[in-house]
Amino acid sequence: MLKTIKLEDAVGIKLAHDITEIRPGEFKGPAFRKGHTVCNEDLCRLQKLGKNHLYLIDLDENEIHEDEAAGILAGALAGEGVAWENKPREGKINLFADRDGLLVVDTAALAAFNMIDEVMCATLHNHTLVKRGEQIGATRPIPLIMKRAPIGRAAAIAQQNGGVLVVRPLRKAKAGLMVTGNEVYHGLIEDRFAPILTEKVTALGSEVSGVTFAPDDAEIISEAIHSHLDQGCDLLLLSGGMSVDPDDVTRQGILAAGAAEMHYGAAALPGAMFLVAYLEDVPLLGVPACGLYHRVTALDLVLPRILAGERIGKKELAFLGHGGLCKDCPECVYPHCPFGKCS
Amino acid sequence: MQDFESLLKSSAAAHGHLCPGQVVGVRMAMLGCRLIGLDEPTSRDQIKKLIVYVEMDRCTADAVTHVTGVKLGRRSLKFMDYGIMAATFVNLESGLAFRVLSTEEARDLACAYAPGIAEKYPRQLEAYRRMPNSVLFRVQQVEVNLSEFDLPGPTRYKAACTRCGQVVRDHREVLENGNALCRPCARGAYFSNAREITWPDMNWAPISLEPNNSAEFVKSET
Repeated sequence: MLKTIKLEDAVGIKLAHDITEIRPGEFKGPAFRKGHTVCNEDLCRLQKLGKNHLYLIDLDENEIHEDEAAGILAGALAGEGVAWENKPREGKINLFADRDGLLVVDTAALAAFNMIDEVMCATLHNHTLVKRGEQIGATRPIPLIMKRAPIGRAAAIAQQNGGVLVVRPLRKAKAGLMVTGNEVYHGLIEDRFAPILTEKVTALGSEVSGVTFAPDDAEIISEAIHSHLDQGCDLLLLSGGMSVDPDDVTRQGILAAGAAEMHYGAAALPGAMFLVAYLEDVPLLGVPACGLYHRVTALDLVLPRILAGERIGKKELAFLGHGGLCKDCPECVYPHCPFGKCS
Repeated sequence: MQDFESLLKSSAAAHGHLCPGQVVGVRMAMLGCRLIGLDEPTSRDQIKKLIVYVEMDRCTADAVTHVTGVKLGRRSLKFMDYGIMAATFVNLESGLAFRVLSTEEARDLACAYAPGIAEKYPRQLEAYRRMPNSVLFRVQQVEVNLSEFDLPGPTRYKAACTRCGQVVRDHREVLENGNALCRPCARGAYFSNAREITWPDMNWAPISLEPNNSAEFVKSET
């Protein structure tokens, strides 16, 4: 339990918690550290910080101090690829990416965790690309001391699927690129898709295993898909031929190649006519022509998740909807914008 | 104990419909029994070790009684009219008792655990299947002091109400100035204005004894 003592009687006691000082626009941090022994010289500064009373802590066996609780919470929240130090500052512990990769947040477990009165955890958005050392979340208990039971329950909830926060590494894919369309195949126009897709693939640490061009012919597209697979590609990006015109036959080519699963249409703009299919467990991504014009499309939301090992199906494409509308700003600041942040 | 899905199916059939309360009740009973160390609560050797207090008369209560096999008439089921989504599971042999409470936040979290389902009840039904016990329940270890007059077994004591003559079992009488009274006489009842009546077909019985048969019955007895 907590006992309150008057400041003038506090000389010689050890502080029960960090005492924060805030100077507007200038400083926010601990003026005194937990465990500091109060001496006569401190009394004036403590009064200036608005402290006329201090806490003395006398824990019983069912109670826990915020610092110990913070360590339990951080340990439970942190899944694979997440680092933290058991050095709470003002009761709070920060969680960091321990490797480059994709932050995956169990949003249901996070909500359930935060429903417990005594605890909180805040994170970056689910599916954010992060670098090693980047802060991805923080947690702290709310009271200075509390019962152990709610901390134990919060920790159990946080651990339910191996932690609320996980940083999944991106695999290094051998990505085949196929540009479809008679206009490019026959040299009527110069292809601009392959350089754009190559840049996106290599920016995520993967490599392009080969680029092919195919006319608007389902059979040839099908053969070219198998040719890519035979050469060992484990990801295939197909551009063009994804729309509704009679010449758009890329989908038919993917089906003719024997795709076991195909999802056409994503709840994102730009990128509504995005396609995901699987052939022999290799993901095939159909990139609509909007990818030529817009810097960021559905592909940018889905590709990191595929490389992080997630299987993208109908549900995942549907759940892009909330937050899936690009504002098409004159100066694009993605990923520092709402696009794709709620899936 | 059967697996969750089997228990849910039979519980829903016994209750009359499948509802979120059935999911919560089946899981509450499975957890409660596990905590007090009974893995087959309806088996012959365990059924007499178990007492369950249910604190609500809602769908969940039916599921709890179905899974555990406790019954009011066997005195293994105690109904406490608290209006709280909770049940306490008591192991009479070990004395262990745990009160399992369904959390209110589970209702708010249904949309997080089953985000693809728009309608409220189907969403709760699915979400309550997906939530871990740590989200769906809080558990308290409790002490339950059962008097011998609350235990299963034969009636241990009877008293007659000194006002109306009604026999009262198991010390449920109330003493007033040293006189035993039934609770309706002492404290009032859920009913009022009681008066005895007669009704048509008063002499009906499931087995009707013909005059001849009864005569034969009497003869053979003698």
